[in-house]
Amino acid sequence: MAAHIVRRCYLFSRPAAAVNVNALRRIKPHRVLVADVNASQPSVGYGTRDSDLAQDSQVHIPVDRLTVSYSRSSGPGGQNVNKVSTKAEVRFHVHTADWIPEDVRQKIFEKNKSRINKAGQLLVTSELSRSQHRNLSDCIQKISAIIADASKKPHEPSAEDVALRAERLDKRNKERLKQKKIHSTMKQSRRVDFD
Amino acid sequence: MSFPKKPGSKALDVLQNLPRISLANLRPEPGAKKTAPRRGRGQHGGNRSGRGHKGQRQRGNRPRLGFEGGQTPFYLAIPKYGFNEGHSRRPQYQPLSLKRLQYLIDLGRVDTTQPIDLTQLVNARGVTIQPLKRDYGVQLVDEGEDIFAAKIHIEVQRASEGAIAAIERNGGVITTSFYDPISLGIVIKPVPFFLRGQPIPKRMLPGQDMVPYYTDAGNRGYLADCEKIQQARLALAQKYGYILPDISKDELYHMLSMRKDVRQIFFGLAPGWVVNMSEKKILKPTDEKLLKYYSS
Repeated sequence: MAAHIVRRCYLFSRPAAAVNVNALRRIKPHRVLVADVNASQPSVGYGTRDSDLAQDSQVHIPVDRLTVSYSRSSGPGGQNVNKVSTKAEVRFHVHTADWIPEDVRQKIFEKNKSRINKAGQLLVTSELSRSQHRNLSDCIQKISAIIADASKKPHEPSAEDVALRAERLDKRNKERLKQKKIHSTMKQSRRVDFD
Repeated sequence: MSFPKKPGSKALDVLQNLPRISLANLRPEPGAKKTAPRRGRGQHGGNRSGRGHKGQRQRGNRPRLGFEGGQTPFYLAIPKYGFNEGHSRRPQYQPLSLKRLQYLIDLGRVDTTQPIDLTQLVNARGVTIQPLKRDYGVQLVDEGEDIFAAKIHIEVQRASEGAIAAIERNGGVITTSFYDPISLGIVIKPVPFFLRGQPIPKRMLPGQDMVPYYTDAGNRGYLADCEKIQQARLALAQKYGYILPDISKDELYHMLSMRKDVRQIFFGLAPGWVVNMSEKKILKPTDEKLLKYYSS
């Protein structure tokens, strides 16, 4: 089974492999690495109700637009925590971040007042692990969580849901009137009319 | 007497005139070696000789290690569980930290202008692999990812995500590939193998439980789809927050894109060839049955 995968990926003919050394030396051409980095970036999209599974693929966070700084973490850890700068801090100005849609930007501003400083920059820090890079990755995850949270839209009921709700309301009313009639006849039957 | 002498020259002169150091003219500094007190001798070592007063302790009749006076001991009270079951059949991978790899590169023991293979690592004495002890190769560990700064093309057997990120962040290429135990023994000691006079065998494909690992683009497996690997590179760059350098613009692109065939053990040598070390010749098979076998 694995051999079939191999045949698909490698672009030279297999029978000549024993003789042709050059064909064995590399995949030609290695198209993967030639592809332009910018062209294959995922496009910006709104987060849907089920966006928890694909947060990062919804909005692409351009790392060069963020300001990253490192400082020393707090807590115990001896020489390592005293010397190594592992706390990662990421900040970006919310209103000029054009890689986020306008309304999402507004929502971020409203929802995360505690994370936004006077200059209007959203500030995210992380000192989760011992490694700078992992902490930076954590910061980016937090940012994408904030964006996904802000781009959540209120759930609109589908046509089926609307029809179902109308039907249920109808039924409810009918049942109520039926019960009312039954109650009324019961009360009338107990009444004694002296003529 | 009037012209100044070089500092340290007196010591050098003395050293030159003294006899050669040997075991006969070495002795420790007085006071460096203190003899330990012996039991059963003298005021402090004698009398009960450090054994206490009467009982099992003094008489040397204490019960075995782990005995708790009759209470079910800890090592019997805890139920058995197969934590170590089949441990001797599990594949092991010798860890190679990025810190050690950077150390080897800095000292020039590993050449970064050529693809770094398990053979290169073992030649540089960076790792020691024992195929007979169920070692299946080397794994790249992300300790030292903060200080790693070298652009390399490396091929290992397993790699952690942080290590892959660290290598690709610096513009390098990493691949994980599988070597069956016989191929592994050949890869780590190529010269003794060539001296045997046997043809280079085909590298076997991984077993069923390892195929998912090597077909996964996230692990940069050698059996994975090329497009998926590129997507995985972008996704990892997004996750770890670095800009993925474009390798195609690199001048070492030719070296970075070199990849071994699935059945190939050495770069530049195909399965079926015989390498003659003494006459420095390579013998290639001509029989069509052999050619068909070695190219399948």
